[in-house]
Amino acid sequence: MLGFLLRRLGDVIPTFFGVTILVFLMIHLIPSDPIQMRAGERSIDPERYAELQKEYGFDRPLVVQYFDYLGGVLQGDLGESFVTKRPVIEEFATLFPATIELSIAGILFAVIIGLPLGVIAAINRGKWLDHLTMSLSLTGYSMPIFWWALLLIMFFSTTLGWTPVSGRLSIMYYIEPTTGFMLIDTLISDEKGAFISALRHLILPTIALGTIPMAVIARMTRSSMLEVLGEEYIRVARAKGLAPMRVIMVHALRNALIPVITVIGLQVGVLFAGAILTETIFSWPGIGKWIVEALNRRDYPTIQGGILMIAFVVMGVNLLVDLMYGVINPRIRHKR
Amino acid sequence: MALLEVKNLTVEFGSEDRPFRAVDNVSYSVDRGEVLGIVGESGSGKSVSSLAVMGLIDFPGRVTADSLTFDGQDLLTMSPGKRRAITGKDIGMIFQDPMSALNPCFTVEAQIMEALKVHEGGSKKERRERTLDLLNQVGIPDPKSRMTAYPHQLSGGMSQRIVIAMAIACNPRLLIADEPTTALDVTIQAQIIDLLLKLQDDSDMALILITHDLALVSEAADRIQVMYAGQLFESGPADSIFAAPRHPYTQALLEALPERSEGHDRLRTIPGVVPGQYDRPAGCLLAPRCRYANDRCVAERPDVGAYNGRDVRCFYPLDDRGQPTGQTTGETV
Ligand SMILES: Nc1ncnc2c1ncn2[C@@H]1O[C@H](COP(=O)(O)OP(=O)(O)OP(=O)(O)O)[C@@H](O)[C@H]1O
Ligand code: SF4
Ligand SMILES: [Mg+2]
Repeated sequence: MLGFLLRRLGDVIPTFFGVTILVFLMIHLIPSDPIQMRAGERSIDPERYAELQKEYGFDRPLVVQYFDYLGGVLQGDLGESFVTKRPVIEEFATLFPATIELSIAGILFAVIIGLPLGVIAAINRGKWLDHLTMSLSLTGYSMPIFWWALLLIMFFSTTLGWTPVSGRLSIMYYIEPTTGFMLIDTLISDEKGAFISALRHLILPTIALGTIPMAVIARMTRSSMLEVLGEEYIRVARAKGLAPMRVIMVHALRNALIPVITVIGLQVGVLFAGAILTETIFSWPGIGKWIVEALNRRDYPTIQGGILMIAFVVMGVNLLVDLMYGVINPRIRHKR
Repeated sequence: MALLEVKNLTVEFGSEDRPFRAVDNVSYSVDRGEVLGIVGESGSGKSVSSLAVMGLIDFPGRVTADSLTFDGQDLLTMSPGKRRAITGKDIGMIFQDPMSALNPCFTVEAQIMEALKVHEGGSKKERRERTLDLLNQVGIPDPKSRMTAYPHQLSGGMSQRIVIAMAIACNPRLLIADEPTTALDVTIQAQIIDLLLKLQDDSDMALILITHDLALVSEAADRIQVMYAGQLFESGPADSIFAAPRHPYTQALLEALPERSEGHDRLRTIPGVVPGQYDRPAGCLLAPRCRYANDRCVAERPDVGAYNGRDVRCFYPLDDRGQPTGQTTGETV
């Protein structure tokens, strides 16, 4: 198991360098010059320009700049926002819990709904229940997030008035951020009703964000289950006289989950992409919304830092998924 | 009363209006402590008929029978729960390919103990001890360390021993072994058969041994049942079938045995293959391959009839000299 862990870590390191190089180059590959950009409409006199170049270190060779940047990244220094002048990493840290909260809710929604749907479809293969669940998941998969989010808002918020339209918490409450996770913070606060409010705010963004991963997980679970159900060991398990439920939930699902877990891991990347849209639509104060705002303001250090951090998180989650894969699949665990 | 009594078992696949009969009105019985050999080429319905006995034929397969009883209990009409209490406890089954018969995600002990837990309960400690006994019984070297092994860490022969241990865990009264050695090395095949026969002998369990290998059942089985394209062709006591086959197909199978091919330049084989779903002849299913077939065989399908203490499905059962009876020479096509 330790060897397996080290091997996986070994795979991650080149990816880490690749990502930092890409993000670093980004600022040098975009057609506009960041200093010119910041000057905006006003022209900038050449002397001041050279001064600023020096200040930001843009006058040095690219390689030197990269290692400088890398050194900073390794020490947790992602530069300062052009706009707020606050360290990017700090802003990230304040906003990240909101995104994690939404993402976890989204992926939980996707797994909790998607897995059973896939299993139900597989064991009813070819019958109407199978067709129904699979058409539903195809619809979910094909629905653009912004469109789906607007539909949800129109129906549940505007028409039915069940859920709030945007934000994380009703303005009636003020909650001091302790963990940054609104559900936890409201739960430990004295404000009565804040938790319910936070929960109601979370529902629609969760559905909007979780629908595509849910559809992907449902389809993957179905096909994986079908494959496993045709295996000889399933027949052997039934020949032991086990109840059908046990055969499906223990013998089949355990094996069918192996590819599904990989897919869930891959969905984390999709989830962050979706979070950017979802947060913008629901005014959810997370890093998705933050990056979109930074893009609008050409706040390059923030964009760079944000992308880099998202890449790290995705890499971390994929590593975690790989490890989980090893835990549930003995063949991987024992491979030297 | 026989332990297992199968009367006119039929298993159909495909659509209702154009069904494919994988098993066609097959009847047999197995007594306590008896070894029944079921022989036939690939596609003759050996596996499907055993799966039907186990209750493992799935929709859209259809199983019908005049009667299917185990120890006097009607398997067809009992509730699924009650039937599962028999399956895996009183009737065990071993499958063809041991390498895919074990669940790759669970350890050896987990898979054996599961059968014990479902049917016998008891404490975990008791189940673990019993599992260790079983591994010893099926000849696993160093059983303690194999208990926690995963299937991918085992060889084919070892896996088959584990599968056998699993099937006999609850002391079944009937064990169905469906080509238990086909997927194994020749050197290991004999060991596994010996093991099965020893287990059968020690516990007075009945054994259905399914195989392609007529020579194998000749030594092991009390009675033999020859199947072809879903039908029973001949059944009777093993030694008498060997001494004098009554069905042309049995005769041809026997002639194809290496030890009976002495004096011939090469092994004799039966030309052609077992007809499948789309090429079943209208008359006798063997007609295209039978050396005694005549016009009647091509046009009509023979029923099973009693002949000299055997059940034989042929218009012209063979006499002691191996010649068809009731047929005038020159009539064959
Ligand atoms: N689930 C199924 N659906 C349709 N046809 C099937 C199904 N299972 C088996 N058959 C068909 O039934 C026939 C008998 O198959 P069976 O597996 O019983 O043969 P067998 O005698 O066990 O052969 P082998 O020696 O190759 O194991 C074959 O023609 C096979 O294609
Ligand atoms: S009925 Fe005819 S074709 Fe069929 S086995 Fe007998 S002799 Fe051969
Ligand atoms: Mg078979």
